Amino acid sequence: MNRLNRDTIVAIALLILCGVFFQQSFGILTDAFRSIAIGQMKPDLWPQIILSALTLMCFIYLVQSVVSPPPARDKRGGLKGWLAHYLNPILCYITFLIFLLVMPYLGMLISGFLFVFALMSILGGFERRNLVVNAAVSVVFVGGMWLIFTYGLGVLLPRNELYPYF
Amino acid sequence: MIIENVLAAIDVLLTVKIFFLMAIGVVAGLIAGAIPGFTIAMAVVLVLPFTFTMNAIEGIATMIGVYVGGLSGGLMSGILTGIPGTPSSVATTFDGFPMARKGQPGMALGIGVWSSFFGGVIAAVCLMLIAPQLAKIGLEFKPWDYFALMIFALTVTASLAGEDLVKGLIAGLVGLLVATMGEDVVVGVPRFTFGIDAVQQGFAFLPVLVGLFAFSRLLSDVQDREKARKNLGAQSAESVKIEHMKAAREILKRWGNLLRSSMVGVFTGVLPAAGSSISNILAYDQAKKYSKNPKEFGTGCIDGIIAPEAANNATAGGALIVMMALGIPGDIITAVMIGALLIHDVTPNPNFIAEEPVIAYSIFIAFFISNFFMLALQSVTLRGFVMVTKVRMYQLAPVILFYCALGMFALNNVDFDMWALFWFGVLGFVMRALGFPIVPIILGVVLGDIAENALAQVIALSTDPTHFLIRPWSLFFITLSVFSIFFSAWQHQRGTKVWTLWFIPVFCIIMTVPLLMMEGYVRPVFGVGLGLFGLYVLVKRYRAGWPLDEAEFIPEVQEAEHLNE
Repeated sequence: MNRLNRDTIVAIALLILCGVFFQQSFGILTDAFRSIAIGQMKPDLWPQIILSALTLMCFIYLVQSVVSPPPARDKRGGLKGWLAHYLNPILCYITFLIFLLVMPYLGMLISGFLFVFALMSILGGFERRNLVVNAAVSVVFVGGMWLIFTYGLGVLLPRNELYPYF
Repeated sequence: MIIENVLAAIDVLLTVKIFFLMAIGVVAGLIAGAIPGFTIAMAVVLVLPFTFTMNAIEGIATMIGVYVGGLSGGLMSGILTGIPGTPSSVATTFDGFPMARKGQPGMALGIGVWSSFFGGVIAAVCLMLIAPQLAKIGLEFKPWDYFALMIFALTVTASLAGEDLVKGLIAGLVGLLVATMGEDVVVGVPRFTFGIDAVQQGFAFLPVLVGLFAFSRLLSDVQDREKARKNLGAQSAESVKIEHMKAAREILKRWGNLLRSSMVGVFTGVLPAAGSSISNILAYDQAKKYSKNPKEFGTGCIDGIIAPEAANNATAGGALIVMMALGIPGDIITAVMIGALLIHDVTPNPNFIAEEPVIAYSIFIAFFISNFFMLALQSVTLRGFVMVTKVRMYQLAPVILFYCALGMFALNNVDFDMWALFWFGVLGFVMRALGFPIVPIILGVVLGDIAENALAQVIALSTDPTHFLIRPWSLFFITLSVFSIFFSAWQHQRGTKVWTLWFIPVFCIIMTVPLLMMEGYVRPVFGVGLGLFGLYVLVKRYRAGWPLDEAEFIPEVQEAEHLNE
């Protein structure tokens, strides 16, 4: 996918997003708020001003991407190349997503340790020496921060469901 | 009055606890600054959750410590290894590294450390003198003027933050749109909740900011698998002793360069989105232009270290001036600080210095004192900071991501803030990958509610839009907004297109109109002077036949703009 296509697609996606938000903005002013005093700003006015400007800019962006095509970029080998290029960030997001999903059950300490250890190993490699170092770093930094927040700052962090002491 | 406020602030700040917190902050900043790829903003973001349990003064003093430490930390790795710890120290490596390789690492570090110190102190003095005066001007603002100021802040950020103005403006508008989600600030009507109850309260400012900036930035840093597994900086920490006295003497001999570079830093800091990554290169360029021996630059020249280091520390003072006086963040770090102040129910605005003098003057003094801490701590713990650069990004990123999540949870003790962090992290990464600048989005989020409030006041007072054009300050900012839109194009085409030759003179002439409309004598007289100057330049260029080789292009500045985020 070259940049011309990419910019055009992004501009179209943004315009669709503007449409969705515009449609939502017409539902902001319910009957209960239609009687707001004259001279007081209606709650849908400011979002609609922003959306109008955003739509205009997205339209200019679309025209710009079609009329003056940007220089061609290096091809990254289709979907496979794209995946290889963005593999690390994608893995980070997936790991973080899993961390958020399991945290209510495992608690901040255990899920945090697992998250940091797993992500370090994914990004750094699964060699035995690495795993030991990663585990040590995870215990020290996650445990240390958990102790500071729980006992130092008095923050009530989520605890695990089976053994709710940590 | 000023002395009373300064004394009251000193009374509050002079406690062992605050000094200890500031020292910890400076150390944290120095460490963060020493690690290539780890920005000062990230360090401030990481320290932020620890300030939730502190009062406003303690919290902000700690973060200012991080800010000042971070600005100076980058010079260590830059001078000793040639790899700048932060974009703020890029120009320091041009002469610092050659000087260290010539066998004078102690002198190079001394010049860097003392220039940072002097730059910071000069900026602190400017901050104390300028911010209250600027705030007095800010008190003249009515809602029309304040709204126009917000528009100017957004347009200038969009213009300066990236290559493409349209993308910058789209980013700023997306930020404003994000700020509208949840209950509206005037009557509390829910907007754009898409049926999700948690969104009804709106997004807390900090998870959005941390997600958009820190989260997405970290993932960009680990994108390259090989790079993520390598040491970030030095392989070995050299045993170096800083030559303090000699360095300080050499700098004071070059006081002209020191003063000029510090002022470049302060001025750059005042502009939204133009941070220390730009100021250090601008100051280096100016120092080279004014030097009697420009050919020495790049070979280990003292002036080449003084300029960037004085400028990058002074930038913090400039950014704090606009934050304190007008409530507008000068950079991402001051945006985080505004977030921290909001947590403590303190809202920076033109009334801030008058209404909260103790907090305001505490910020001034904390910035001043932090520079002394930086000087002392950088010298003592030099070896440790260079050792820190041995850390690998794949180890650093997961720990920071966890700290970010922990900190955002601690903000309101709700999971939703961590989910906001995640989703805005995705948004930030995607926008970065598509070439949209992040700074305008953040500024849009910060200024969204403030701008809406100002507009609500405008409409409550009058629905006549001509007030925007007949009020001097409003017209002043609208004119600046219009010209700032074209500023990016002017910067890129300067000296190569005829229109760039009349851009600045015409700007000066048009700015005369709002200045003439202002009360008193000083501003109208200044306006007339500005107009005459514009006219003179215009006539001069017309007579010369619009010479296209007149202006000079600075490629380094454009490069620095990309490093700004």
